[in-house]
Amino acid sequence: MVEKSAAERLVQAIHGNLPAPVGDRRPVHTIGMGVKGEFVASDAARTYCIAEHFQGQPVPVSMRFSNGLGGLVEHDGWSDVRGMAVRFHLADGTASDLIATTLGEFFVRNVEDFFEFSNIAKLQPYQRRHWLLKIFDYLRLKVPPRNPYPNETESVDAGALDYANRHRFSQLGIFQVGAIGAPESYARASYHAVHTFWVTAPDGVRRPVRFSWQPVAGVRNIAAADVSRDKYLFKELEDRLKRWPARFMLMMTIGEEGDALDDCTKPWPGTRLRVAMGTLTLTEVAENQEEDGERISFNPNRLAHGIDPSGDPILKARLEAYEFSRDKRGGCPFKWRQDHADTK
Amino acid sequence: MPIQSDERPIDRWVDGLPETRFFKFVAKWILVPFWAWRKPVKPLPGGPHPSFQRGDNVQCMMNLIMPLKNKSPVGRALAAMAIAQNKDAIYAGLNNVGTVHFARFVIVGDNICMFSVYDGDFTNYIRDFIATIGSVFNAVVELVEDGEKVIPCENNVEAFIQWLHERDLYQVPDTPTDFLRDQEALNGDRAVSPVNDDLTLLPRKLVLQLRANANVSLGSGYRAYPGFSAAQVRERLGLGW
Amino acid sequence: MTDFADVQGNILRGYRMPRVRYLILEVADRLAARRWLAASTSGGGYGVPQITPGHWGDSRPDTCFNIGLTYEGLRELGTPASSLAMFPNEFIEGMNARALKLGDVGRSAPETWPAPFNEPERIHLIATIYAAEIAQLDDVQQRALADGKAWKLLGTREGCSFPDDIVHFGYRDNIMQPRFEGIHDPQRHPDGQPMAPLGTVLLGHKTNLEGLLWRVPEPKVLGHNGTFNAFRVLKQDVVGFEKYLDQAASHLLSHPQVDEVLPPGDEVKICQVLSITPPTRHAALREVVAANLCGRWRDGTPLALSADVPDPSVDDANFDYDHNSRCPYGAHIRRCNPRGGKIVQRVANNSRRLVRRGVPYGPRLNGTQPSGAEPERGLLGNFIGASLGAQFEAMSCDWLNLGLQDPRITGSNDPITGTNDPETSWFDLPLKSGSTIRLRGLPEFVSTRGGAYTFLPSLSAIRYLGSL
Repeated sequence: MVEKSAAERLVQAIHGNLPAPVGDRRPVHTIGMGVKGEFVASDAARTYCIAEHFQGQPVPVSMRFSNGLGGLVEHDGWSDVRGMAVRFHLADGTASDLIATTLGEFFVRNVEDFFEFSNIAKLQPYQRRHWLLKIFDYLRLKVPPRNPYPNETESVDAGALDYANRHRFSQLGIFQVGAIGAPESYARASYHAVHTFWVTAPDGVRRPVRFSWQPVAGVRNIAAADVSRDKYLFKELEDRLKRWPARFMLMMTIGEEGDALDDCTKPWPGTRLRVAMGTLTLTEVAENQEEDGERISFNPNRLAHGIDPSGDPILKARLEAYEFSRDKRGGCPFKWRQDHADTK
Repeated sequence: MPIQSDERPIDRWVDGLPETRFFKFVAKWILVPFWAWRKPVKPLPGGPHPSFQRGDNVQCMMNLIMPLKNKSPVGRALAAMAIAQNKDAIYAGLNNVGTVHFARFVIVGDNICMFSVYDGDFTNYIRDFIATIGSVFNAVVELVEDGEKVIPCENNVEAFIQWLHERDLYQVPDTPTDFLRDQEALNGDRAVSPVNDDLTLLPRKLVLQLRANANVSLGSGYRAYPGFSAAQVRERLGLGW
Repeated sequence: MTDFADVQGNILRGYRMPRVRYLILEVADRLAARRWLAASTSGGGYGVPQITPGHWGDSRPDTCFNIGLTYEGLRELGTPASSLAMFPNEFIEGMNARALKLGDVGRSAPETWPAPFNEPERIHLIATIYAAEIAQLDDVQQRALADGKAWKLLGTREGCSFPDDIVHFGYRDNIMQPRFEGIHDPQRHPDGQPMAPLGTVLLGHKTNLEGLLWRVPEPKVLGHNGTFNAFRVLKQDVVGFEKYLDQAASHLLSHPQVDEVLPPGDEVKICQVLSITPPTRHAALREVVAANLCGRWRDGTPLALSADVPDPSVDDANFDYDHNSRCPYGAHIRRCNPRGGKIVQRVANNSRRLVRRGVPYGPRLNGTQPSGAEPERGLLGNFIGASLGAQFEAMSCDWLNLGLQDPRITGSNDPITGTNDPETSWFDLPLKSGSTIRLRGLPEFVSTRGGAYTFLPSLSAIRYLGSL
């Protein structure tokens, strides 16, 4: 178990990198919205996993979509990771969470890496690159760093790049963050749960898997030049759901021996078996955003019977860190699943 | 909040510079050759990345590009006829070797290309085909540049397999970082951390690699039902194998 | 007619000498090494040991001596570059570089191999001494290195066969070798398979694949009648194997279909033939599992001929796999040689055959209760064929591991020698009714602790190399 002090340090490291304090809101993924929906598993799902929500009957779902950046100022149009946290409500009152982001691979392998990253990738003043230097870049066939967004004065980009240049395992994650862009809609992005979980089949066979939400409407980003578009995602989803439901397909990739099961910086290749586990339908934006958007507290380790976490150190760290942060901001406490003794 | 901007006309002009015809001309004729000379890049080998894992050893992609000797409509017609006249042999071979999911011959420009999806090791796949449709290989490769030194393929098995391997396209990995790892591995660099890389050089490295490997496959391909061999698919669908 | 006196003796025949020692040598002085090679085929008396040929006339020698050269060895001796370029790629790259194809990953990875196999570029010549006594092995070794100039000894490996051809894991081995056209009498000892063309094992002859000929390195004297060998040091986890048999037998005892696997009463016959007391169902089930994993009962009876009980009266070589055979598709001997059985790559039946010359190393396991640290046990194996790529490697990467030859086993590895991970490994035990019981959790029983690809030149080729 990660000690509380490490969890505390993790959360403090994140808080330390904020442009301004956020009070009782989340330190990252601060801006978000709660949404309600329903998940129906495919016929194949139950042959791979005994978890209740994969047995085929419709399961009510609470979700929160969010922007990755920490801080209270909303920048929908900036290039940023988006989050999709899903809670499957099970019949006995417990739940199973699945937390996913548009970033497919993380950029650090464990907690020590993350602390080093936080030290290097600090919020620094960010300015437009001088035009002479840009020409010099072109002559060397390099792409110069992007122009700052309107009103952007600080950024972690330079520090993150520095960290990536030192550590090859982080390069994919950081590269993808740099290129991620801004989606047209929360319902038009792919979200990945990044970490490996173990699912247990009815015959007792356990398989290492990774989950991904694939938008039925397709992935679409806004044009890169439109960075000044702002505060549109909430309204867009609200309007969309009034017209018709939005849907996601849950894809489960099965890992093989030799794959990096506990390393969330390494993607799994497209040659792995993929199972279509079911369809999630978003029905309406939650009426009570305070309860269903802010106080609701997801945890990647809240899992139904039949799904277990892998030994991924970041996944382990998130258990404690999320709890610490939730406690700090007064979110709803973690209700363990039925087979655990303590319930707060 | 009003949007403040420090963007000056010179900044806007420089931002748009790479799109101009002048810059594209300079890049093509001066910059790329210069950097190719300063930082030479070795061509990367073709075919799927060697892997021990089972999912990586079924539904492997082969992308063969073979330039024709006779670069004209007549040459292309000869190549088309070489395939058409051997259709029976080709189908018998494909049905009996049993490890091919899909295969097609394509003429693009003055090249005869073969794209296929197969299971297992590349050399076994080609060798089994040499044993069954060697005569077809001979008929086609006879029309290809540099082909005469490896036919008849039955008597030059190892050389023929090597020759095909050299014409199988390099599969650029699905992620840019894996591409960098490929380049580094070719130079014997397998370090992970700490290193002293410069990620902003990725565009140049990619450009130079695509100069060394002019034809490439982008990614290892999309598969609708990865992880199954051709025989497994046939067996589960009740089609016999 | 092929002059078998020109071919090295250990290719076409087994010597049946109990003790074998491998000398792993590096060229210390090129000219001295060439002189040594010339002397080894000159018929000289007490100097350099003489290479044992395929025909030894009337008197059987007391000791036998054969050599194999790696690519680096051929190069160090000064073989012309144009000749070297004609050797196959896999031989040039060397076994260490072919790890992914052979399944040498994890604990078998070349990075973990002990000396001298961790420095493959220094391994130039592997000499094999066959004898009845250790003193004879020492004598031949001493004569081989007497001049002190030609070679540097990098290491040795030594093995000793057990009585009755038993090997570690308790099976009787050495039952089958390919029978060659032009050498063996097709009327005697039929083995249910077509006679193997000489090109299966010698360069320059017709091969099993119609019309295909492997490239013979030139000049002809160098390559003709030579062959290639995959020498492998294979460590066997005998304790782990017996433990797995216990686990599998216990699992089966409580399985609802156990009476189909082992009809009540059969345990008496099985234990009697295999000399196991007391004749419990658990002990018999262990043998049933062992038989299915291998394809032969531990006494050598092939499952294809006698699937219910081991039967010494059966001809253990003469059989084929047809639709009635109850030998599992994934059993070890069926993976290595599917004979005429139905496989996906239909043209490849009988095309990946190998001559196997091996000897166990390490002490035999006494009882099943180990005390203290276990000594290393395993097999010093030689897998000989005219094309490493078409035979040894092709069998290893598509058939032993991956199981591509039959869709019912694709995705699983050989249960005995495969690179198995207990989390994902599986093996289907066939039942008489046609259904199967899936066994899981097979660990890796065999791991590679060294090896090299060597070229086994003909005696004329050795003389040629000596005269470079």
